[in-house]
Amino acid sequence: MTKHPRTLLIVSAALLALAAPVRAQQSTVFLSSQLRPVESAQIMRTQILKGYAGKVEFVPEQPAELVVRLQAEKQAGKSTISLVAGVHGELQPLVPAGILTPLDDVAATLKARGFAPELLALGKFGTDHQLMIPWMQATYVMVANKKALPYLPAGADINALTYAQLADWGAALQKATGKRLLGFPAGPTGLMHRFFEGFLLPSYTGGVVTTFKSPEAIVAWTEFAALWKFVTPNSTNINFMQEPLLTGDVWVGFDHIARVIDALTKQPNDFVTFPAPAGPKGRGWMPVLVGLSIPTGAPDVAGAKALIDHLTLPATQIITASTVGFFPVTSAALPPDLSPGMTLAVSAVQKTGAAKDGIATLLPVGLGAKSGEFDKIFLDTFQRVVLRGEKPDAVLARQGAALQALMAETGAPCWRPDPVSAGACQVK
Amino acid sequence: MTLRRGIFLSGIGVISAWVLLPIWLIAASAVGGQGQISAWPKPLWPAGGTLDGLASFLAIEGVWKATANSVAVALLTMAMAILLGAPAGYALARFNFRGANLFRVLVLMTRAFPVAILALPLTVSFIRFGVYDTAFGVALMHTTLALPFAVLVSASLFQAIPRELEEAAWVFGCTRWQAAMRVVLPLALPGIVATAIFAFVISWNEVFAASVLTVRNRTLTAYLLAVLSESPMHLQFAGGFLLIVPSVLFIFLVRKHLFAMWGIANR
Repeated sequence: MTKHPRTLLIVSAALLALAAPVRAQQSTVFLSSQLRPVESAQIMRTQILKGYAGKVEFVPEQPAELVVRLQAEKQAGKSTISLVAGVHGELQPLVPAGILTPLDDVAATLKARGFAPELLALGKFGTDHQLMIPWMQATYVMVANKKALPYLPAGADINALTYAQLADWGAALQKATGKRLLGFPAGPTGLMHRFFEGFLLPSYTGGVVTTFKSPEAIVAWTEFAALWKFVTPNSTNINFMQEPLLTGDVWVGFDHIARVIDALTKQPNDFVTFPAPAGPKGRGWMPVLVGLSIPTGAPDVAGAKALIDHLTLPATQIITASTVGFFPVTSAALPPDLSPGMTLAVSAVQKTGAAKDGIATLLPVGLGAKSGEFDKIFLDTFQRVVLRGEKPDAVLARQGAALQALMAETGAPCWRPDPVSAGACQVK
Repeated sequence: MTLRRGIFLSGIGVISAWVLLPIWLIAASAVGGQGQISAWPKPLWPAGGTLDGLASFLAIEGVWKATANSVAVALLTMAMAILLGAPAGYALARFNFRGANLFRVLVLMTRAFPVAILALPLTVSFIRFGVYDTAFGVALMHTTLALPFAVLVSASLFQAIPRELEEAAWVFGCTRWQAAMRVVLPLALPGIVATAIFAFVISWNEVFAASVLTVRNRTLTAYLLAVLSESPMHLQFAGGFLLIVPSVLFIFLVRKHLFAMWGIANR
């Protein structure tokens, strides 16, 4: 028995020796809050990064932890991460902390790629330097099962739907099938808040923050609460619209293109795609821009720049679009022979961007770590007005005060489509 | 008699169902394919058995590496928790020193702070110490989490071993060290093994520290949190199922020792 502790010691010493050298391997570490789902990450490694000469370690990371990690590495003065990818709003809090290095030289060398100027401008985050190079973009779309098409209200154009027509459509579906067949991703990790921030409210009020408690906003919430009677009650469990679409629990659903792509590629013959509905002020929609940045102190700046070059190549942009459903940010033209599922996805995004009555709405800008609270204000309003049936004017007055306090605290100026403001954006 | 027996049996039934039903539902969803997951009410028996979910889960790049990391971290945690915890427990049981009670409380305090608020400072200091993104670094963190159990459980184990046995060994010429090694340790061994296993399970299940402190060398739970949270449900269930299997098996194999730790069975 005396042997036992000694064996334990030997074993643990051996384990320590094993654990130590694991760190020493040279490759460019690429941390990304996008392409986290297993299949997308796999495609990233095997197809999108395939043509790249160097060695890349693609590490998917949850957005909140991505920010913590970059801050920690900056504070400790020793970095492992060479390239970081995230949505515009996720990288924003890293700007005031001085974590992103200027990439003006990269932007200059890549000029011939033909980046859309407004996307390139977003990459400056309101500073004088290019801190982020656009990588890919997406938006939110509507997907309908073809079985739902016969019930589309008479005279309605599916590509120019209004919220009133969507409600009529839902009512007709319920009358015909006895089930509530509209769907929204209001589950715990669903992206429902983006629907209010980028689609519903801009469509009805033409703004987001300034018009938060306007009479138009009260109309928006009242009508949406009425529409909810035709939305499946299971919506509060839906995080990814592709699953209920595939199982037939939802016939007409709204979600981020990356969260319906599975349904479109698996059963392209069963679905149609179209832009989100329009309200009295227009067709609110939210473009999502994913960009690439190099953190200060990155161990492999040359590798990171080479990787940016590779990811923005026309060929790579096309592979990215045809495999994971994120669209080119450059002038790369998509080939005509896309798979049927991808064609559905592409056409929905193109129709959304091209809509004549479109009101492009940015993701919240300048809220830093408080963007979660911003989202919560919209979700709380949704909870109270739509799910619990409280009076919208009282709820909006109260949530509007919370929103005003949040804007005053962060000092964030208005973003599109709210009109430009001198100081912090004000709730009118 | 029959009534009491009935209550007894239904009590057992309820408790078993409490533990087994969720595990069973996860297992059924892991092999039942997409249909099983969206079906409501849940069929208790999976409609169509398919191992696709499990297979595609195991084919995910990096799962095996993450599993190896998890095992390494858990073994390291187990070793360190025992090497540090058992002597501390022995000291608490055998010596009366000033601050012994304070020590008991302080040891528990390590569990009083949520790891989430420590994330940033922890990561910063781990980078500075050069243990960031290593199995050893994560094991250090997990040892801290497992130590309270290791110390307090082994203290009560040693307390239960009569001091007279040790004194008799001294009389027959053993030094203090020899007596502890040859007399006390063998008696306490089953309990110590159980404590070690507890440390193993704590480390195996811990996800937050593991995901904050690693980038490339993720443990399985941390890796799964990053990849699976936005993946199709059947893959999530496959991952969840494969994640519980090792700990359930492990606990099943050592259940006798676990009971010993809680003093239910005799040593």
